[in-house]
Amino acid sequence: MGAIIKKELRSYYSSPVAYIATIFFLVFSSTWFFYLQRFFAQGIASLRGYFGVMPLIYVILVPAITMRIWAEERKMGTAEVLRTLPYTEVQLVVGKYVAAMILLTATIVLTVIVPISVAPFGDFDHGKTAANYIGLLLLGSAAVGIGVFVSVLSRNQISAFILTALILLFFTLVSQIPASLDLSPRAAAIINYFSLDHHFQGFVTGVLDSRDVLFYLLVTALGLYGASRSLLFRKWR
Amino acid sequence: MIDVAHVHKSYGDIRAVRDVSFTVSPGAVTGLLGPNGAGKTTIMKVLTGYHFPSEGSVTVAGVDVVSDPLEAKRRIGYLPENAPLYPELTVGEYLDFIAEARGFAGARKRARIAETLERTGLSGEVSRRIDEISKGYRQRVGLAQAIIHEPDVLILDEPTAGLDPNQIVEIRSVIAELGRAKTVILSTHIMQEVEAVCGRVLIMNRGAIVAEGSTDDIAARLKGDDVYRVVLRTRSAPAAETIPGVRRADTISIEGDLTELRVALPRAPHSSEAIFDWSVARGHKVLLLERDRANLERVFRELTSGDGEGR
Repeated sequence: MGAIIKKELRSYYSSPVAYIATIFFLVFSSTWFFYLQRFFAQGIASLRGYFGVMPLIYVILVPAITMRIWAEERKMGTAEVLRTLPYTEVQLVVGKYVAAMILLTATIVLTVIVPISVAPFGDFDHGKTAANYIGLLLLGSAAVGIGVFVSVLSRNQISAFILTALILLFFTLVSQIPASLDLSPRAAAIINYFSLDHHFQGFVTGVLDSRDVLFYLLVTALGLYGASRSLLFRKWR
Repeated sequence: MIDVAHVHKSYGDIRAVRDVSFTVSPGAVTGLLGPNGAGKTTIMKVLTGYHFPSEGSVTVAGVDVVSDPLEAKRRIGYLPENAPLYPELTVGEYLDFIAEARGFAGARKRARIAETLERTGLSGEVSRRIDEISKGYRQRVGLAQAIIHEPDVLILDEPTAGLDPNQIVEIRSVIAELGRAKTVILSTHIMQEVEAVCGRVLIMNRGAIVAEGSTDDIAARLKGDDVYRVVLRTRSAPAAETIPGVRRADTISIEGDLTELRVALPRAPHSSEAIFDWSVARGHKVLLLERDRANLERVFRELTSGDGEGR
């Protein structure tokens, strides 16, 4: 599987996609935090505004990473070579998922500049910051899982991008329904359970809840399972 | 060794391939010849396990492609139509990926890559990006990818499509050389390709195999000769090459005093008379004299008129 991961990363970094996605991510999140959120004017030593917006940024960032992952192979015909190499469908899907996660992790790691640069200005809770990063990785994993699945089903990159973005947007914002409407607690809890953003809020406040961790891992597993089953199913058509 | 038994393949409502059976043995390149849309590519995809057959079985190098796809894939080298590659990688990076995926590492990997580059004439292109090299070189990279692990079975879908005449000659010589030791099947819609590299040919039309045989035999029929199946009762061995005007004569079988021949004569009305008269003059009793598979002619016309590519 190492060969696939290596090849995927080579492809990412020999096309502009990875660089554009990384720069977009860093510029947008920093602008949001320092300029729009007015971090320095607020006078509070909190990175909540910085991490809170990440799920929304993921709605664009993750599809940009995952759109090509299968759709491009299918369109270029390279899927035919890839899928006649001695790998199982699960190995192919997981290999590509791992490569996408490495790229996403590399992008996230670059953002530590922000917490480090504001650290001297106040008494930040570093445990909380660590929890935020764990949450970012888990949320990213779930989003990549969805993106991989959609990419398998798509004929080209653009439709993979749009569909993934719409799905992520929906499951990110769905927690706004119980927040703005007066629903029964039970209905609200059910809707919130399916929200990618709702599970992230725990990490933002520094709480590591195993239920949130489990949710993200479950979404990841379902996405990858769906992707490998779809690949296998296509052989029979 | 490839063994295909009663394979059907449908895509939705479209029946791409109907009841196809054949075997391919090592030692001679087999050509799968047919007009565009005949089902050649479907057969190629089914052979590699990229698609599974709707019915029937495919065994490659003794391995069933549906029940043990992983092992089958290890034994197969496959060049899909148009040699799809990753344009953003260099030739070296691409072959490095394929070699690692095929389980090579370290010095052995480097040796395999170097040997394959040498064999396909790509040594000078290692560090060039695939989107910068010519179509001919890309086709070679595709071929290199297919042979890097020295597979028992090579499956090549239109290996020379889109190449210029010099490139075609080079690729064909590589294929012919591979065919001496391996089981090789290639698809094409050009008769000359089959004549140049294949010892055996299968002809497909509308999803079915309509003829198979040695290339010489099929070529004779394609050239518009009348081909007859003849069964003679005779004590002496019939010297069929003495038939007046004969183009080709093959002895198919001899059982006791029965001899079966296949005889090709230039196309003419009642050309079978020459065989009959020759038999009578020689004292052979004609037990059977029939035209071979007249329904092939329509396919041959499609093949030979066609889009004229490569001629």
